Amino acid sequence: MIAVELHSRTTFGVDPDRVNMPQSLVTAVRRRVAGRYPLDAFGLDAQLSDLMAPLLRGVIKVSVAGDEHIPSRGPAVLVMNRGFGVFEPAALTVAVMNACGRRARVVGAPGVWGVGAALRRIGAIAASVADVTSALNEGHLVVVPLAPTWLSATAGSPPLELLQACMGVPVHPVSVRAAGPLNTALNGWRIAVGPAIEADPAIAPGDPLGAAELTESIRNAVDNLL
Amino acid sequence: MRVLITGMGGELGTRVAQILEASAEVGDIAGCDFVPPRRRLRRAEFRRIDPRHREKLRDFVLEFAPTHVAHFGVYEPASRLTPAQAAQRTELTSMVALSAAARAGALEYVVVRSGLEIYGRRSNTASVPDESVPPAPRTPYGTSLLKVEAAVAGIARRHEIPVGAMRYAPVVGSHVPSPIGRLLRLPVVPVPAFADPPFSLVHPEDACAAMVESLFAKVSGPVNVVGEGAASPWQAVRLGGRLPFAMLPPMWSVASQAVEFMGAAIAPHVIELLRHGRTASGAHARTVLPKLSLRSTQTVLQELYEWAEVVPMSTVRREVA
Repeated sequence: MIAVELHSRTTFGVDPDRVNMPQSLVTAVRRRVAGRYPLDAFGLDAQLSDLMAPLLRGVIKVSVAGDEHIPSRGPAVLVMNRGFGVFEPAALTVAVMNACGRRARVVGAPGVWGVGAALRRIGAIAASVADVTSALNEGHLVVVPLAPTWLSATAGSPPLELLQACMGVPVHPVSVRAAGPLNTALNGWRIAVGPAIEADPAIAPGDPLGAAELTESIRNAVDNLL
Repeated sequence: MRVLITGMGGELGTRVAQILEASAEVGDIAGCDFVPPRRRLRRAEFRRIDPRHREKLRDFVLEFAPTHVAHFGVYEPASRLTPAQAAQRTELTSMVALSAAARAGALEYVVVRSGLEIYGRRSNTASVPDESVPPAPRTPYGTSLLKVEAAVAGIARRHEIPVGAMRYAPVVGSHVPSPIGRLLRLPVVPVPAFADPPFSLVHPEDACAAMVESLFAKVSGPVNVVGEGAASPWQAVRLGGRLPFAMLPPMWSVASQAVEFMGAAIAPHVIELLRHGRTASGAHARTVLPKLSLRSTQTVLQELYEWAEVVPMSTVRREVA
């Protein structure tokens, strides 16, 4: 059963669920040398992530429609489309940061040595049912990307097992499109967030058939936003 | 409520006995272990029994006929015993004491000490496992914990009573004999050269509070008892002002022998923690043990390092003179 209330906590004055003002470089270095920085169970290094936030905001420009739909607290899921799969999650992360100051926990940290650990440090989590369930139980805002569609501007296949783990929390469809000419990101990204998809209350959490219906509704909702 | 505490001689067993002594709801308290309790107990009865003396242990438990059992007779390798001794004593205590408690006829509830080692290596399929993740231990201690949980599940089936398993993150405190705590307090600490995985800890007081609360609430099934947040080996070493010694994978076997010579033996489950991390989701504990408030992993570490260094008596005498 998914806990509805956010389990909020801070370590060394840093809230792992919220993007904080980055510390000065001197303070940050001093704290890192002394080991006084927070880590969460998934490997998120909130201090490092906060230091990188201004850089991300500077490089990735986003315009967001429907940002009022992004929950400002508690567990929730944003299901997004992706083309090649690298830049869209980063754009949505910036959009979430700008909209409500929360950290988006993007699903899909690979098991590849070095890369996976590095992505986990900035908030990614593994694409596994156990980790998605745990992240939602801890009250995080989880981003689940659909399968990559490469150059086609449609929604990809939804990950059925992962979305089955998301039943019981608000699930929002999100479309992410490049705003530049010829579908490039020269002018940034256009992001549209839809309202939470109403699941049939008769469906029990974890019901495979119910999950299949939910995933289809999500895919259609993302397609409509696109 | 007649409570039997196996492993009462350990830090956690003794502390649980003290907390239960203060409760008016608890009637008789009895415990056994192969070492005496760490603190003074006022009304709990302690019997020093080596679990290898099966008959003695069985008769003691049968005579006491407990209604509740807090099973702390689960010994961590390299804590106070060698890995082989720890496995043997854990198995004997679990089998003999628990089956005798069940045969005595009054048993209503059993809660056992378990650990996150039961989940095995932290992987991309379950890096933060909750209680629904199937156990897949890869170390002798993890296997030992799985056997204890299996034994107690058998008792639950046969006698139709609720049983709980507290899956503790490594219990680290200033007074608790813990291999990871001892290792982190060394002046030079071996850490993985190309990895820095997160691990979580739990404070001994919180571990005891969880056990006591589960005894009163009769919590059924496994419960992860994990402090908030995490730390990593490199970070923990820096936090304690220690010197990190970067290790390549083949060097760990040599390091374990060297470190044992320095006074802090490393068991395989400790190497697994340092190389692959060890965390879990504590959300279920917040639901079933609502009164429990756990200290964060960082707080546990800070307390470990704030503990005063051991000063030889000769030095103290010289300073006083």
